[in-house]
Parts: sequence; structure tokens; C-alpha cells
Amino acid sequence: MVLKKIDNVIPKEETTREHTPQERALMLRLGVYVNMRWLIVLMIVFATLISSRVFHIGFSTLPVYIICAIIASYNLVFVRQARSLEVDKVGAVIRRAQTSGNIQIVLDLFMLTALMHFTGGIENPFIFFYLAHTIAASILLPQRRAYALATLAILAITLLVLLEYYGVIPHVNLVGFVLDTRYKDTARVVGVLVALATLVYGCTYVITAVSGELRRRQKEMVRLKDQVLEKRTMELEQASKEIVKLEEERRHFARFLGVVAHDLQSPLVATQSFISYILDGFTGGITDGQRDLLERGVRRIDGLLTLITDLLDIPRIETGQITREMREISLNEVVKRSLEGLDNVAQQKELTLKVEMPESLPKINGASRRLQQVLTNLVSNAINYTNEGIVLVRVSDNENEVRVEVIDSGIGILPEDLPRLFNDFFRGSNVSSKGTGLGLSISKRIVEAHGGKIWAESPDPETKKGSRFTFTLPKKLAAVHEEKRE
Amino acid sequence: MKQKPRILVVDDDVDLVAVMKGTLESKAYDVIVAYNGKDGLEKAKKEKPDLILLDIMMPVMDGFNFAEQFSKDPSLVKIPVLALTSFSDSLGQPFPFQVSEYLRKPLKPKDLIAKVEEHLKRQSS
Repeated sequence: MVLKKIDNVIPKEETTREHTPQERALMLRLGVYVNMRWLIVLMIVFATLISSRVFHIGFSTLPVYIICAIIASYNLVFVRQARSLEVDKVGAVIRRAQTSGNIQIVLDLFMLTALMHFTGGIENPFIFFYLAHTIAASILLPQRRAYALATLAILAITLLVLLEYYGVIPHVNLVGFVLDTRYKDTARVVGVLVALATLVYGCTYVITAVSGELRRRQKEMVRLKDQVLEKRTMELEQASKEIVKLEEERRHFARFLGVVAHDLQSPLVATQSFISYILDGFTGGITDGQRDLLERGVRRIDGLLTLITDLLDIPRIETGQITREMREISLNEVVKRSLEGLDNVAQQKELTLKVEMPESLPKINGASRRLQQVLTNLVSNAINYTNEGIVLVRVSDNENEVRVEVIDSGIGILPEDLPRLFNDFFRGSNVSSKGTGLGLSISKRIVEAHGGKIWAESPDPETKKGSRFTFTLPKKLAAVHEEKRE
Repeated sequence: MKQKPRILVVDDDVDLVAVMKGTLESKAYDVIVAYNGKDGLEKAKKEKPDLILLDIMMPVMDGFNFAEQFSKDPSLVKIPVLALTSFSDSLGQPFPFQVSEYLRKPLKPKDLIAKVEEHLKRQSS
């Protein structure tokens, strides 16, 4: 089928702009028609030679060759025109191609009629070549135009035959092929004309039906494609709008949290400053009883400030704050910074704080202060719950991840507490905890935002004492994770 | 005799400013106060203090904005700035300006004086 080949026959890169499928189909058909004409001219020449030289049919061949020359010369014009169509403006192609098709078919019709006249009219069996036009017209042109041209073809041949029949124009007899009375044989003339007319209209009907259906399907296909595209575009637009909206909401929420943090903490900070002002003796001396109460007040406010910070940290982490804080960081630096000040605390309790860490760890993508927060939290917990012995921070790495362990020789964790350790507001049942119960749950959120894992073991599997907290950080942050957080 | 060192305190918390002012004045510093970044910037330009105590979270012009404007003025950039941050402020946000030191609120009066003295000494040496 011609249509199936369309996409292969006209290479897309050769056209200077994108043609619509209908344009491409029409241009292809026109091209085929022009090429076919070369073949027809050759066939006419060949048939003429055979009939005059081989079968010695007597007729004047010169007019035939002249007609062939005329056909060939106008075909040259159409070949050039067909090429120029390919670089034509959008929209103009279909109109120009159809006009060109009309002209070509009408011209061919007259040439064929002239040819028929010089080669015996009704006597010539090639009279059925009128079908060729009908077929071409049915393929190239819309249905009504095709019927009009079919009618024109029938009229042209009928006119020729009748003019010869009534002797208005001279009849050329194919000598030695048929009797020269045949063109006067009424029954034969009517029979041939009726047969031809029937064939011509029949062909027009069948071909326009088929090619009309093909054209309709092609249009439908284009329409469906456009529909799908349009739907996709709309979905994409919708999705990006939603993303913008979510991002806006997230920013709004972050601002809100900032204001809440500030407004909740400011009065506490001020109050604590006033008390410190008294405690530091700027308002004169105070009694030991007063000092004791004021110091208790300061500690309570400290606790409340920590709780506020922790509470506000959770939504900040959950709205993806950490991902935005991520930079390329040195873990050595993080570990060093998180232990600042903690060795003093350990010394006060006569504990050894030991660090085992490779001299240089590869840089990872992470939020430096958040990771410090995790490690500070784990180490200060370890110091809090250990009364004698050692707190060990051990850092190691393998191909994929960095592993940080905090091991203590302290009181350990009850087995029933282990699964709930990282829950919000969890406090160990064997400790008189002063904390908010949020430290570990925040640490878990931070580590997981980095694509890592955190867990606890008690007693420590190596020393059979105390407990061990481990967290891992992937060396390469998984892209999927980042997307999820964003 | 050498003139008293002049300190500019920029903070929106009136009570806190009063305490800081009292603390510093007790150590014979000349204290100027401003309650927002905009006012603070104007006073810094006019008074040319020896040190600035700057709160980060403020209305009208916050500490970040203040520091950005501040760093554009060549007559001011040499003045040491001690930034005061609350517990969870400014986590992860890069400060657009080289601050001499971050001090976390609440700050004990003794610590405040120690820090101010340290930076003034560093500046004069």
C-alpha cells in the first residue's frame, strides 16, 4: 500500500520543515504519478514500435511521437514543481499539490484523447487506458473531484468516438488490425463506451472509498496524537503547579516556625539573662538560698529552651530542611567539632573519652551541623549514663558507607526499651532522665534524611557491657532519596 | 586618658538590651543601643563604635540584612561584630558576612563581658 510507505519514503531530515502527514502523503502520491508518466511515455513508444514494425499495423506514427514529446516535456515541468513543493510554506502545500494534480490529470486526459484519435479511436484496445486517469484522480483528489474527472474522461472519449462516427473529424484506421468499418458499428461503439464508462465509475467508487477511508484514519490518528499530547501537557502543567504550591506552603511553614521559635524563646532568653544578672552579682549580694532557687530556675528554663528547639526541629527536618543544608563536608571535622566541650564533661565524671578514626575520611554530602547534633547527642547520652570506664567513638568506612559507633560501659538499656528507643518522647525506664525524650528521635530523622541507618545494641556485643549506638551514612547520597526530600 | 570603648548593642528585645546595657556600663563601656537593624546601621555609621553586638532575628531589618549592608560600607567593615543567636536560629544558613564570633543566647553577663574584652583586645593589638 502506498500509504504505509509514507514515513519511510520521504526522509524527515531532507525536508526543511516538518510536513503534516496529509501533506507528506499527497506529495508522495503526486511524485508517484509523475514518475508513472515517464513509464507510460516509454510504453506508448514501445507499443507503437511493436505494432508498426512487428505486427505491421498501418497507421501514421509521427503524431504519436509528437504527443509523446509533449507529454515528456510537460512532465519535466511537473517533476521540478514536485520538488519545489517540499520546501513550500506550511498550509500552502495541500492546495498547490491538488491544483497541480488537477492540471496534470486534465492535460493527460486530452493527450490520451488526442493519442486515441491518431491511433484508431474506438478500434484501439488501449482505449481502456482511460482507467489509468480515473485511478490517478481517485488517489490524488477528493471524491467529488474524482467523479468529475471520471465524467470528463467518459465525455472526452464519447465525444471523440461520436465525432468520428458522424464523420465530423476523419477516422484513422489501424490497417491490418481491425476492419475500417468498426468505428461505424453502432452496437460495438455503444458496447465499448458503456463497458468503459462502467469500469471508470466502478474504479472511481472503489478507489475513492478506500483512499477516503485511509485519509480519514490518518486524520483520526493525528487528532488522537494531538489529544494525547494535549492531555499530557495539561497533566504536566497541573503537576508543576502543585509542586510550586507545595513549595510555597513549605516556605510559609518554615517562616512560621522561625517566628514561633523566636517568639517562644525570646522571653525565656530574656528572663534567663535577668536571673544571670542577679546571679553574677550585678545587683548586689544574694543569700545561698536565693542563689539555689535562682539556679534551679535557670536550669528549668534551659530545659524548656531545649524542648522548644527540639520540638521545632522535627517539622523543620520533616519539611526537607536538611537536604537544603547539605554540602560536601569532612566527617573528621564533624567528629572533632561534636566532641568539643564533651571531653571536659567526661573528665568531670572521671571517664575516658576515646576516639578511633582514620586520619582522613572521604568527603560526604551532608548537613554538617545536623550530623554534629547527632554525634553530640549520642556521646553526651553515653557520658550521662556511664559512671565509670570509657566512652569510645569509633569511625570506620567501607566502599559504600561510613560507620560511626558510640560505645559505652554504662548502665545499658533494658531489653524491653530497645525497640522504642527512637520514638518521640521516649525516656528509658531505668534512668531518671532530664532530657526531652526527643534527642534520639531527632537523631534518627537526621540520619535517615542522609539516607543512613541508626540503631542501638545493649549490651555492647564486644565488651558485653553498656551499650552501643551505631549510625551509617552512605558515601554517595542516593538520588532517589534527595528527590523524595525535595 | 584613653576614651571609653564604645559598644553598639542591636537587639529588638528591650529587656535584654537593658540587661546588656547595664552589664556593659558597669564595666565602664560607653553603650549605644538600637532596636532594629535599620536603626543600628544608621547609628553604626554615625557613632563608629569599637564593637557591635548584633541579634540575628529582628524585625524591620534582621541581622542578615544588617550584615549585608554593613559589609558594603568600607568605614564599618573593620568593626568586630559579635552575633547573638537564639537556640535554633540560623542553623545551616551561611551568614553573608564574616562575623567575628557567634554567641549563643542566653548569655551569662560574665561571659558577655569576657567576650567583649577579648575582641576589643584583639582589635587593638
